Amino acid sequence: MRLVIADDEMLLRDGLARLLQDAGFEITGRCGDANAVLHMVEARRPDVAIVDIRMPPNNLDDGLLAAQEIRRRHPEIGVLVLSHHLDSRYAMRLLEDVPERAGYLLKERVSDIAVLADALRRIDEGECVIDPTIVLRLVTRKRERGPLNDLTDREREVLALVAEGHSNGAIGERLFLSHKTVESHISKIFMKLGIGASPARHQRVLAVLAFLRAP
Amino acid sequence: MRSLPALVGRTASAWGILAPALYVVIGVATVAIVRGDPKFALAGGSAWALAAELGAGLLLIAAALAAPGARAGHARFAGLVIVAALAWPLQEWAVPAAASGLFTAGLLLHAAWPPLLGAAALRGPDERPLSRSAVLVLACAFTTSIGVLGAGSAAFFDPRAQGCLECPRNRVLIAGDANTWHDLGQAGLTLSAVWIAGFAALAVTRLVRASPARRRVAAPVLVPTVAALVLFGIDALHGRPRGFLSNDPTDRALWAGEIAALALVAAGVAWGPVRTRRARSALARLVVDLGASPAPGGLRGLLAGTLDDPALELVHGVEDGGGWIDADGHTVTVSTGPEREVTRIVGGDRGVSAVLHRRGLLDDPALTAEIARAARLALDHERLHATRRAHLEALRTSRARIVATADAERRRLEHDLHDGAQQRLVTLAIGVRLARRHHAADDPELDAELATAEHELQAVVGELRELAHGLFPAALDEEGLAAAIEGLAEHEPRLVPGTLPRERCPPHIESAAYFLVREALRLAPAGDVNVDAHRRNGRLVVELRAESAFADLPVRVEDRVGAVGGTISSNADHIRAELPCAS
Repeated sequence: MRLVIADDEMLLRDGLARLLQDAGFEITGRCGDANAVLHMVEARRPDVAIVDIRMPPNNLDDGLLAAQEIRRRHPEIGVLVLSHHLDSRYAMRLLEDVPERAGYLLKERVSDIAVLADALRRIDEGECVIDPTIVLRLVTRKRERGPLNDLTDREREVLALVAEGHSNGAIGERLFLSHKTVESHISKIFMKLGIGASPARHQRVLAVLAFLRAP
Repeated sequence: MRSLPALVGRTASAWGILAPALYVVIGVATVAIVRGDPKFALAGGSAWALAAELGAGLLLIAAALAAPGARAGHARFAGLVIVAALAWPLQEWAVPAAASGLFTAGLLLHAAWPPLLGAAALRGPDERPLSRSAVLVLACAFTTSIGVLGAGSAAFFDPRAQGCLECPRNRVLIAGDANTWHDLGQAGLTLSAVWIAGFAALAVTRLVRASPARRRVAAPVLVPTVAALVLFGIDALHGRPRGFLSNDPTDRALWAGEIAALALVAAGVAWGPVRTRRARSALARLVVDLGASPAPGGLRGLLAGTLDDPALELVHGVEDGGGWIDADGHTVTVSTGPEREVTRIVGGDRGVSAVLHRRGLLDDPALTAEIARAARLALDHERLHATRRAHLEALRTSRARIVATADAERRRLEHDLHDGAQQRLVTLAIGVRLARRHHAADDPELDAELATAEHELQAVVGELRELAHGLFPAALDEEGLAAAIEGLAEHEPRLVPGTLPRERCPPHIESAAYFLVREALRLAPAGDVNVDAHRRNGRLVVELRAESAFADLPVRVEDRVGAVGGTISSNADHIRAELPCAS
């Protein structure tokens, strides 16, 4: 898999590149600027671009803006945003326009090469990836009232994995459930939450996140 | 020349009684002289003409004594008018019917009234110091009238030798010389016409150049004075061929005109105090009006109305001499120009106010003094209020600045933590992972230790993130209060967001509201906290309800809200804050 890495901290960028090369990825380009990554993606056409959220020129959410731009211009190229923000709204902004082939992970995950490699593979396969910590926070969030309180613990677990972007198969593997059981859980959850019957795979992540984020 | 009015001014106090008494004496003597031989008198045999002549002088004295300060001896102007009035009847004295002493006085002073009146008019009711050209004209006038026509001529005038057999003795006669006397008389009369022409030119120039206010003060005296002196000048030219002033029909016609002009001068002199009194009573009414309810800026409006200058501005000096403030305490720059100028008014508390007005509007020192006197209380009152408001405003902006500085510092720290420490720690974790891969693959013990280190690093990054977020949530700047509170709710499950405003408020207001919400969570250690916020009438209203109870509001929370101009109230389970947020 061919990757472009964009992070303004050079040591981090190089370390990450070595780590990924060791794991069998091909690094086709590295840069440290939100504008540069757009050009590099244009020129090198990687499978996935890894983009740090906070980068020059403004050192705000420039990386996220660049990622959104890549998604719009090249829907076939995946984007993984590395962030230090736990707020779910950043992840939502990434998914809003084009929900597939996009990922949002907390920065400290990158040393865990297994997690990183898994995320990259899922993105390359067209899924979306949301950091489990963010989803956990959303699911356990206190609410005045609402259907979320009516879910069973198992349903809640399934919901969290859906929100993280996993496919039914992956959810079944993790929870040691049959494909059918997973499907029945999901349709029950969607009914309880009042989310439209069974949205397409990528759309359902967005729908679940939107539901979880609603106050 | 300057010492004469000073002398007159100093002695004027006694003249409140002395001047009328002296005039009565002079008047009685004049009546006796005119009645004694009417054919030599300007007044002739007419009692009415004599009454008019003496009446003109009396009017001048009465008007001068009514001038402010005349009796206290401050007014040189009034003193000069009085002396001119006393000199006026002396023109009737150089006749055979007069006793020798009065006859001599008449010879010396018969032409003294024009320069004295001229001096008074140039000084003016506003007590202007004499200009260089005025001093020159007056020096020429006094030399001509008293020196040449008076003392000079008298020294060579022997009445008997000139054929006036019934004339009394000239006590200042030095040597009777008809030719010299005639030449001096002609020269004196010519010079009289010359200095009066100079005087008229000076007066007209001054009136044309003067500001409207000064003109209003000076013209009532100066214009009739010019008229009286020009009539005298014409008379001098008329008398020049014969070498002396006399009482032929032309002389008498001009003299009648002089009487009328003097009456007008008297009216002009009397007008000054009337005008001042009118201004004072208008201002006094104004102050009475203000006394009841002095609204900020009300004094300005009333002064603008009273002085008929709608654009008039009233400003107050800042105590430490640092510029001007308006009635609301806002700093203003006072800019003068070709149209506007500034007049300072010193208040009872030594504080200074200033009126920015149309150029020339307050050129009259009497009017400025009246404003200062009449409006002093109102001015002091408004100045104190303005100063207090300015202090409060300075205090408020200073508090807001402190809070803004603290916010900026928090933002900076948040950025530094993310861009510095966190990035380094992540880099370090990657390094550890690389070390595990390359150097610990065959050493399970080392690998386990490095794995522990890697997890520790990840945990520290997580903790740093919490710390940074607590310092200042990036969402607050990037997307506003609602996004930041929703982010906080993901972080703090006890916080239940209700309706939140999508409109933005200024950053310092949003951060004050955000930190209030966070404080509220701390104040209610157990149970949910509901937060609702909405914008209404230019205010951001934040309401917090606790499932259990809030502890008492700490001062720092009240300070934080107060510093940005907001208010806060609370009871057991409810906190409500209102912050300014204009759309």
